[in-house]
Amino acid sequence: MTKVASHDEISKSLKSFVEGYNRNAQLKAMNRDWNRTVLVQATDISSQHTLVLRDGELTLLEGTAGEADLTVTAGSDLLRDLFSGEITPTEPYLDGRLKVLGREEDIIRLDFISLMIWGE
Amino acid sequence: MKRVVSVSLGSSRRDHEVRTEVLGVPFEIKRVGTDGDLERAVALLQELDGRVDAIGLGGIDVFLYVDEHRYVVRDGERLLTAVRRTPVVDGSGLKNTLEREVVHYLAAHTDLLPPGTKVLMVSAADRFGMARALSEVGCDLIFGDLIFAAGIPHAIRSVEELRRLAHRLLPELVKLPFHLLYPTGKKQEEIDSEKAAKFEPYYREARVIAGDFHLIRRYLPERLDGQVILTNTTTPEDVALLRARGAGHLVTTTPVFGGRTFGTNVLEAVFVALLSKPLHEVTPTDYLTLLHRLQFKPHILPLAGDIDESGQP
Repeated sequence: MTKVASHDEISKSLKSFVEGYNRNAQLKAMNRDWNRTVLVQATDISSQHTLVLRDGELTLLEGTAGEADLTVTAGSDLLRDLFSGEITPTEPYLDGRLKVLGREEDIIRLDFISLMIWGE
Repeated sequence: MKRVVSVSLGSSRRDHEVRTEVLGVPFEIKRVGTDGDLERAVALLQELDGRVDAIGLGGIDVFLYVDEHRYVVRDGERLLTAVRRTPVVDGSGLKNTLEREVVHYLAAHTDLLPPGTKVLMVSAADRFGMARALSEVGCDLIFGDLIFAAGIPHAIRSVEELRRLAHRLLPELVKLPFHLLYPTGKKQEEIDSEKAAKFEPYYREARVIAGDFHLIRRYLPERLDGQVILTNTTTPEDVALLRARGAGHLVTTTPVFGGRTFGTNVLEAVFVALLSKPLHEVTPTDYLTLLHRLQFKPHILPLAGDIDESGQP
């Protein structure tokens, strides 16, 4: 595992995350009521992406896109590993390597979603 | 006199102390809430260690059992390991046995749980025994774990789906601070009116609302229409609230001591104190034997009409 991931590597992980989500019909149905914008940004390289959840569909945009409901911040390697499903968010969130800003209930819900995509 | 203390992460406003006899043995049973303060709970547990006969941990689960799998809640484990000498239990050892018995009793001996009854269990991952028993007696189930813990409007409708989601989610969720998943401290004193309105259809669709009372209470709608509440740890104030909101019956799975029902952790601690054997040697059969010796039956309180709020008709 390298210490710094590139923007393209993060993009690839996020695409995989979005595909994993959109393949899961049950998860899409569960989130039909939850329209949120999530900004994902790296702390060690210039890299920003926006995940937009609308009516259950998740899309990925490069850069920022309006005001975010949740902001996910971490080192580039962590973001890459997190969104590719190599690691789960709980430990890095608890030890402070992963910061998620937003309403507590939104943070919990995002955690549930990521676990339902990748968790085993 | 045997002394049992329950240290709870719940509100100190629910503190209670009774003296009673259980199977001829005098007991002093006390509940101390720490208002969600984990550090205070640890300090209190260390202070009690070696000075009482058994300790219960309330307002938090340490172990979640889903079939043969046992998940350890990290915050709960921290409390458990603060105690070195006195037997300490969280109620999970007894819960499966007791609540299964209660469900089968209600189905066999009352008209409160006929086959096909629509039941909302506000959370089932912490009460898998009750969930399975309700399924076994033919209830039409909704498990609200995703709804009430994460705000995800997805009703889990079978034990199989519950099992699958539990195995997927619990290994990680048990690591989170417990207060993120469950109302502790002051949150136990407040009804979340906004969410109560949002979740109202789930309550109204059901004829029986089962599970953890703090969750039931936190999202209790303004008006029920005769539903049965199947739970424990209710105070006289809770009974008054349920009556005012229109619940039909309150069924509690633990005995009434001094006008209120304590949590399963308290009853398990009482049993452990009675058994006088090392905790690791205690089995579900020991608990079942004690329940039968106590001739234990669930406490069924009709809430319509003029009935004393302590639970005495």
